[in-house]
Parts: sequence; C-alpha cells; structure tokens
Amino acid sequence: LWSAYAAGKRGVSLALDRPEGRDLLLALVAQADVLIESAPPGAMDALGLGYERLRAVNPGLVYVSITPFGAAEPKAGYADSDLVVWAAAGPLAPHRSDAGVPLRISAPQAFLHAAGDAACGAVLALIARGNSGRGQRVEVSAQVSCTLCTLFQHLAEAVGHRGYHFSSVQTMKKAGAPTLDLSGSGARTRQTKWRTKDGLVEMHVGVGTAAGRFSNALFAWFGELGDRPEEFAWDWVALPQLVERGEVSLEQIDRARDHVATVLERFTVQALVSAATQKGFMLAPLMSTADLLDSPQFQARGLFAGVEEAGRTWALPAPFAPGCGADAALSGAPAIGADNAAVFGRLLGLSAEALADLAARGIV
Amino acid sequence: MRPLEGLKVLDLAWVVAGPLVGRALADFGAVVVRVESAQRLDTARVLGPFPRGETDPQASVAFDSCNAGKFGLTLDLRREDAREVARDLAAWADVVVESFVPGQMAKFGLDYPRLKAINPGLIMVSSSLMGQTGPNAELTGFGNIGAAMSGLQRIVGARGEAPLGPFGPYTDYVAPRFALLALLAAIDHRRRTGEGRHLDISQVEATVGLIAPQILDYEANGRVTEANGNRDDHLSPNGVFRAHGEDRWVAITARSDAEWRRLAGLIGGAALADDARFSTLAGRKRDEDALEAIIAAWTADQDALEVERRLQAIGVPAHVVAESADICSDPQLLARGSFITLPHPRAGEIVIDAARYDLSETPAQYARSAPTFGRDNRYVLSEILGYADARIEALSAAGALS
Repeated sequence: LWSAYAAGKRGVSLALDRPEGRDLLLALVAQADVLIESAPPGAMDALGLGYERLRAVNPGLVYVSITPFGAAEPKAGYADSDLVVWAAAGPLAPHRSDAGVPLRISAPQAFLHAAGDAACGAVLALIARGNSGRGQRVEVSAQVSCTLCTLFQHLAEAVGHRGYHFSSVQTMKKAGAPTLDLSGSGARTRQTKWRTKDGLVEMHVGVGTAAGRFSNALFAWFGELGDRPEEFAWDWVALPQLVERGEVSLEQIDRARDHVATVLERFTVQALVSAATQKGFMLAPLMSTADLLDSPQFQARGLFAGVEEAGRTWALPAPFAPGCGADAALSGAPAIGADNAAVFGRLLGLSAEALADLAARGIV
Repeated sequence: MRPLEGLKVLDLAWVVAGPLVGRALADFGAVVVRVESAQRLDTARVLGPFPRGETDPQASVAFDSCNAGKFGLTLDLRREDAREVARDLAAWADVVVESFVPGQMAKFGLDYPRLKAINPGLIMVSSSLMGQTGPNAELTGFGNIGAAMSGLQRIVGARGEAPLGPFGPYTDYVAPRFALLALLAAIDHRRRTGEGRHLDISQVEATVGLIAPQILDYEANGRVTEANGNRDDHLSPNGVFRAHGEDRWVAITARSDAEWRRLAGLIGGAALADDARFSTLAGRKRDEDALEAIIAAWTADQDALEVERRLQAIGVPAHVVAESADICSDPQLLARGSFITLPHPRAGEIVIDAARYDLSETPAQYARSAPTFGRDNRYVLSEILGYADARIEALSAAGALS
C-alpha cells in the first residue's frame, strides 16, 4: 500500500505531539500550497493544527480534509473500515453472493474514491486562489464519495421510485414485479459472467437502446455459426416493447441467455474476444492482476512505469493517464524520514547540527 | 468569484464517465453547453431511478445528476450542418469534453488537431474505455467491460463461487475523478501559459490505479488477488451479517484486538472477550468461520440500525448495509446537504447528488436542472454563437437540431 501510493512523494518524520514538532510543521505550512490530512475529525484541532490556526500562518493555504463520514456530527466520530464505509454509501448492497450476502470488492476501494475527489477539490481551490489570492478548506467524506458507485440508485427513495432497490434482481423477483434492465452495463442483470473453454468472460446480453444492438450483433454471429434458434430471432433493441406487448416473455429471454451460455462454452477466451471485436458485440476477459502487467495495450501506452524503491524496481500504474503529458519519472515511496535533511535543511534552513539535535530528542 | 467563472465548455460526452466531468465544471461556475442527439438517446436517460417511478427519458435521476447546471443543445452530428455548429462551439470554448469511441471525432471532423487549428489554446478531454491509442483502442464497451479489463470483475465474489464483479459500470465511477483532475490541472496550466492540450483518459487505466497495491503484491510475492468474500488479511472480523427483518444486513469490522474484545464483550460477556482462540488476529483468522457464526447468531434477531448504534457507541466500526431508503434518510448525508432538489419542467422537481467536495469559500452552486431535449437551443445558437434567426430556422428545418 505504501509503495503504491506514496511513490513520487518526499517523506519527512515529525513528532506532532511535541511543541517543536508542531513548530516545524507550521514552518512547512508557511511555504505550502496544499495540506492534505486524513486524521480523525477533531484530531488536528486537538494538536493545535486545525484549519484556523494554519490559515493564520498562511492565508493562501488550501487545507484538504478527508474523513470517513465528514467532519461534523452526527457521524463524525463513527469508527470506520473500508467495508463499513462501503456499506454506508450504498454500493455494498447490490453485490450479492449466491446466498444473498452483500459482498465488497476484495481490494479496499472506499478511500481511493475519496482521494480522487479530494485531489479534484484541492485543484479547484488552487484555481480559486488564482482568482482571489485566498486559500480555503476543502472537505471530503468517503461515504459521500462512494455513493457514486451505486449508479444513482441511492437516490431512488428521494424521488419516490419505490421498489427500485439496489438488489432489485432478487427483490423484484420476490415481489413478483420483474422489470427489464435497460442499462448498458447489466447493472441489474444477474448473469454477466460466462464460462468458456478456458476461463470466464464478461458480457451483458442487454436489451433496449443502450445495449440491444450488441446483443443483435452477438446473435447475428450465432447465425453465422448456424446456431441461432428461431425462437430468439427477435430484435434486442425493440425487446422492451415486445415484452410490454406480451410478444416475448421474460422466461424466453432467460432461455436465450441460457443458449448464449451453451455457445460460449465451446470457445476459448481469445477466440471470443476476437469475435467480439470483429462482429461488434461487447465482451472482455476477466483480467487478473498478473494479466494486467502482461497486457500489450498497457505496455504500448506505458501505463506501468518502473519505480525504484530500496534497490528494487516495481512496475507501478504511475502516469494515471498516459495522454496527460505527466511524463516526469516517479520516485519510489520514501522510507520513514528519508527526506528529513533535504526538506528541513534546504527548505527550512535548519543546520545539520540543529537537525541532529532534533533527531536526538525524537522530534525529527 | 466562483472558481471557474468565465470558463466555456463544449460537452460532447455521454452516459456517465464523460458527462460527470462537465457537471463538476458547471457546479463551480463554468458555462457548459451539453450537446446530444434526440435521435440516439443517451443511455443515462433510460437509466432510473425516475421521479415517482414514471419512466421518462427527460426526467432521469441518472441523467440529471450527470448534467445538472448545463445548457442543452440538440445536434444530429451525422449531418455536416450540425457539425459546423459543433465547430463554432469548439471555437468559442476553452474546453471540449468528449467520450466517443476513439476515431469517431475524426470522422466528424472534430478531432483535436483540427479543433486546435481553429482554437489554438483549446483543452480537449477524450474519455474512452482503453484510451485513444494502443492495440486495444477500438475495444468498446460500457463500464462492466472496463471493470473486466481493469481487473475488478475478478475480485468480487464469495469464496468458492464464480466471481460476481462490482455493481454496474465500475470504471464510470472512477474515470471522471481522474479526468476532472487532469482537466483542472490543464486549466491551471493554461492560465499560466496560454497552452492548451489534449487529455487522453482511459477509463480502464484510471481504474487500474485503484488496485495498484494488489499489482505490487503480485510482483513482490507472486500472489494473484482473487475474490475473498468480505474477508481481509489484516482485519478480523470483517464481515456482513444478517439482521432482523426482510433483507437487512449490517457490516462489522474489528481493526484491533482491543476492538474485538469490546465487540466480544457485548456479544458474549467476559467469556467470549477472554476466549484465547480469538484474542489475536492470527487466532481470529484461523477460526474465522466459527467467529463469524458467533457474530451472525448475535445479529440475527436484532435490528440492523440498533447493532450499528450499539457497536459505534463502543468504537467498533459497524454500519447498516444501506439501501436507498437508508441513504436518503441518513442523518449524516442530510446534514451535509448531499442531495439537491431542483425544480424540473417535467417532473416538478428532481433530486441529484451534490458536489462531492465542500469548498468553504467558493462552494458549488446548482443553477438549473439538466436539459430536456433542446431546451436551450435558442439561447446557445443566438446568445452564445450569435446566429441570426434565419440561420437557426434553417438549421431546424433541415433537421440539424434533432
């Protein structure tokens, strides 16, 4: 985690529970454009390093706070974890195991979404400072950031769309009121993974204007293979209307998807990806972390940069958008206090003796 | 003065990942003209939820959340006269945002080199699944395909079951934050230098950044991350447990031995808190099935919200697994003003997400609901582009504004 997300930074170590440590931080703040903190709400104030104090030192400072639930009550003091924030924001509910248990992503995500929002807020505030000369406080709540991961379904109750639950594939069937999933991504369709001869692929066999034409392309390919039963010779774009008029049943659509399963399992992942590209349907392999590093696409675009850290070189997804011109080489994540001398010495003008003294006393 | 006051944006993006970028710009003061075709519906228009559950492509919470604050212009870009209008808007704009399949803008004659020729300082954001270049540039798809290509589809699921993948188009939740960040940096750069640039955002590459530690884990340790239910190597318990009522669940984590002791004390008193099997993380990981069974038995006949409150009261992370009704009544989200109600010409009113960053001095503002089809055609063509009435009529009669 540290190697991945502290790359490119310089690192200093400072005892903020000591007055001299806090003084050094204030000296850094006086020269800083942005301060980012993710301490529990109130912790920076308790140290005497809250926004008001730092603004007095540097009125141009952009002070960015990232918290799990926000800096204000009632849930400011809530204990958090990735799972708990994911639960509170909504995107946990719709991922269900076969037994109906809500499932998180097996790699913590909540605070990464918050970090993305915090970075955007910070640059917005810097642009505002360009107009006014004044800094400001930017506050981000991970809970709020993660609500975006529900595809706006979290707002259903607010507009009175009853029954539009996240887990609607299951709950709607229970309620006896199944409706078609008109999304492009299959957000509310249970099966979008398919077995092949040698692994799984992702494909939403969709209906309507968003995704129906890709299903048409898939079944046209089945036709070329001589494997398109007459029963499924409908237009997937028009399917919602056909269902509404009672000309096609949801059970028939289920049977069509069952047919898809029987065809796909005869092919390899690679053959299916080639067919998808040629025939115009949307299908992709389920890439693993190992596959990502071998991807010709990412290699061609230079997504993974070699980053040196403690004598080893890691491939990191470094220039997050290779087209952005951020081509400066990334330094490896710093060891604790790796840049104390450079930062406190050159930036703040501390002598080597003063620094040694601070180190001896456990402040640096 | 609002942060982006005076910034002019032509928004040709569609669905979620692209339009959210322009939405954020509008929140903070930019003038954003969203161009769409009424002939080919933006997918976000057919996504719910809808006010009162009444399906209406011109009153969709998804579309409105992605496009509030923008002016709307309908253009049929298959027509050359419509593309001329788009070029005029690109000449007016500081920023163009688009999310067509790579190559489509060139077919329209609207690719960056050509737009830069008429507007040398232009910044253009191109948001696509795989990026504008590379052997897979032409791979198209919605965010579920993006989630497969970025490694996310594989790492959600119960142990021993086929992977389930994240909910919906996961890369659409990630990419707009990266695209906006890159764009804001480019805007700052332009203010200082006058230089524009073309930003090539791959939704998949942005999302790969969110599993960077797992990629390093493979490089350093040879471990390929697989779906592991809700379990976490460094936390135990870290699970979701059924509570009393219809499909009610609560998520619970203990981040330390001390938190486990407090949780265990509440569940089973000193006997469980002192149970040596569970006193260390290693012990809890070893007997995790038994541990989870004890917690599940305790939560089963309790109200999920009550479990959350009891555990949070003793500093143990817990939260109801929130469905829409929980979120829309969450006192924290309501206190933060996370939901914005805007007047809406068809639905009466509509609710959208607020900006996700609170700026103390220059907060977001929400000027208008997302456009209905062609709502602002006359304003854009007449006021912004200065077209004479006769030209607007001619465009309309020819079908360019559809």
